Amino acid sequence: MEATLTAAEAATGFSRESVEALSAAKQEPTWVRDARLAAWATYESLPFPQRTDEEWRRTDIRGLKLDRLTPFAGLSGEAPSPESVLAGFRDGGISDESARAGVNIQSDASAILTDVHADLAGQGVIFTDLGTAMAEHGDLVRKYFMTEAVPASFGKFEALHAALWQSGSFLYVPKGVSVELPFRSFAVASAPESSIFTHTLVVLEEGAEAFVVDAFGSETQENQALASTIVELNLGKGSQLRYVQVQDWGRHAWNFMTERAILGNDATLNSLHVTLGSKFTKNSIGSHLRGQNALAEMLGIFFADGDQFFDNHTWQLHEAPYATSDLEFKGALKDNARSVYSGLIKVEEGAQKTDAYQQNRNLVLSRTARADTIPNLEIRANDVRCTHGATVSQVVPEHVFYLQARGIPYTEAQKLIVEGFFRPVIDRIPVEEIQGFLESAIARKVGI
Amino acid sequence: MSQTPMFEIENLHVSIEDKEILKGINLVVNPGEIHALMGPNGSGKSTLAYVIAGHPSYEVTEGSIRYFGEDILELSPDERAQKGLFLAFQYPTVIPGVSMANFLRMAVKNVRDARAEEIVANGGTAEPFTPREFRKLMREKMSMLKMDDSFATRYLNEGFSGGEKKRAEILQMALLEPRLAVLDETDSGLDIDALKTVSEGVNELMNPEMGILLITHYQRLLNHIKPQYVHIVMDGRIVRQGGPELAHELEAKGYENIRAELAAAS
Repeated sequence: MEATLTAAEAATGFSRESVEALSAAKQEPTWVRDARLAAWATYESLPFPQRTDEEWRRTDIRGLKLDRLTPFAGLSGEAPSPESVLAGFRDGGISDESARAGVNIQSDASAILTDVHADLAGQGVIFTDLGTAMAEHGDLVRKYFMTEAVPASFGKFEALHAALWQSGSFLYVPKGVSVELPFRSFAVASAPESSIFTHTLVVLEEGAEAFVVDAFGSETQENQALASTIVELNLGKGSQLRYVQVQDWGRHAWNFMTERAILGNDATLNSLHVTLGSKFTKNSIGSHLRGQNALAEMLGIFFADGDQFFDNHTWQLHEAPYATSDLEFKGALKDNARSVYSGLIKVEEGAQKTDAYQQNRNLVLSRTARADTIPNLEIRANDVRCTHGATVSQVVPEHVFYLQARGIPYTEAQKLIVEGFFRPVIDRIPVEEIQGFLESAIARKVGI
Repeated sequence: MSQTPMFEIENLHVSIEDKEILKGINLVVNPGEIHALMGPNGSGKSTLAYVIAGHPSYEVTEGSIRYFGEDILELSPDERAQKGLFLAFQYPTVIPGVSMANFLRMAVKNVRDARAEEIVANGGTAEPFTPREFRKLMREKMSMLKMDDSFATRYLNEGFSGGEKKRAEILQMALLEPRLAVLDETDSGLDIDALKTVSEGVNELMNPEMGILLITHYQRLLNHIKPQYVHIVMDGRIVRQGGPELAHELEAKGYENIRAELAAAS
């Protein structure tokens, strides 16, 4: 399906005019438009990342041709039905109905469905698309949107996102409110040679509890497209958030995702990032442990095939004493795929009794795939426990032989081994739906 | 009367990295028979076990292995297993993250499906094997081998003691119901109680339709599993063949004396 271009979209190219056109088309409050324009100025003032920058040393973005893309599409015209979007994800193993506290769907630049359980709205929970949130809860959103977790000045692509974000979801859970069922956000892109910008903003007040699942996807197209995601997670004192992100963009997409969580005292974050799709992915995932006794569990699973390139950069930022971070990123690679993992545990002065763990393991399934892993520590306190481990290994032929000797064909044997490799991470996510999804995603990637 | 043997190795020559390990092995195993293959370390016993199972590192340079008349050397290891060949490994491998139950279910499913396909191809009918039946069968066989229920949830051979690994091998044999089972040094690393349990398990599984090839260094195992035929292998060749008494003779004399006798005789 091809979305019709509006006059706003026809102002092709990334430009100040396109920012104004987008804001006008969305009939945004002035402060929103002004923030976009300020971000555009920031974008223009910042250089593109260079391979001389440590974080981009192994990550080549020269193939991305922004000048061939439109910054947004699908503001009007025919959008896919919410049902068809949900059915697509359901086929992929992410369920949508019955088990949800709320749902939010973005299709290209438009929000096409947003819904939250009536009981929750009554308790003061807000879950809606970001544009509506800005119009209806301006003061609240303004306080958190790209101000602290991921400010517009964060980097070139973050500034571009701040100028041209299209939609996404806003979740606010008031003090003491606990929601067990997940809030589900879906983003799909179908316009050719265009861009999707999607944003997730979560604010949990003191003692609040929530579970958020973001799922992104598109069909593979011939020409490249841009996907830009920013996730901002604000965890108040004693709050608990489980955040799962499943990225399955088409193989034509250049994907840039930046996420930061800010954890207050005693807050707990359990995050999982599943990277399956896109041609190119640059993930920057970080947790600021700003409160004492905060706990961040950061899990990652990626599986690259074909000529996919995935770069995961993680940050465990210990800014307060007695906090714990526990990171485990595991990746499998086949065909000619490449991955880079680099992770930093940074312990600030005064963050005594920090307990930080970082682990990246990679399983390479072909001779032509390659994984690089670069763990890093930067410690400015003297009473801490920080450990890290990194490995790149290949499938042991004796394992395959053993399984085959029991009647299990080669491909199924590979699947068992890869699933076994990911098992410790899968077992850390006590959500049956996500476990089942991961198992079927691994099987699909292996080729069953 | 000449009938096609169930399992027949003929003039088998095998090399690994251009070094010849097996230098013309001949062996026939028919249903209802237990054969013991004995030999000193490095004589080629385990190589033979691996070649039968289809290990890709070994190169067969001459000869054949036929199973019900079919040359199996071109078959992949999984195809051989599906046809009813089984190897109990001397050193079962540890595969992290793969649970016993999941692994066993996949193995049994593949082997059963292949068998059902063959039955249907021959004009018969085959009932599908249900997960419920699988669980029942697994519980049954585990209790026969005195294995704890928690076994099923553990990862494949991870943290298993020597005895547990060997018991797990026999459990797999029990579930896959092979026609020809090769047991490679199944007695090694077992204390006397474990040896008894494992042997009893094997004896219980043995049936008139099945043949067993026991590969062992010592006579010890043969007190528990009684072969009708004993073969002594040295330097890649079967140098003597006989009945159970040959194993006792070997135990009394030792491999070196047998070797000396053979040298003197030639």
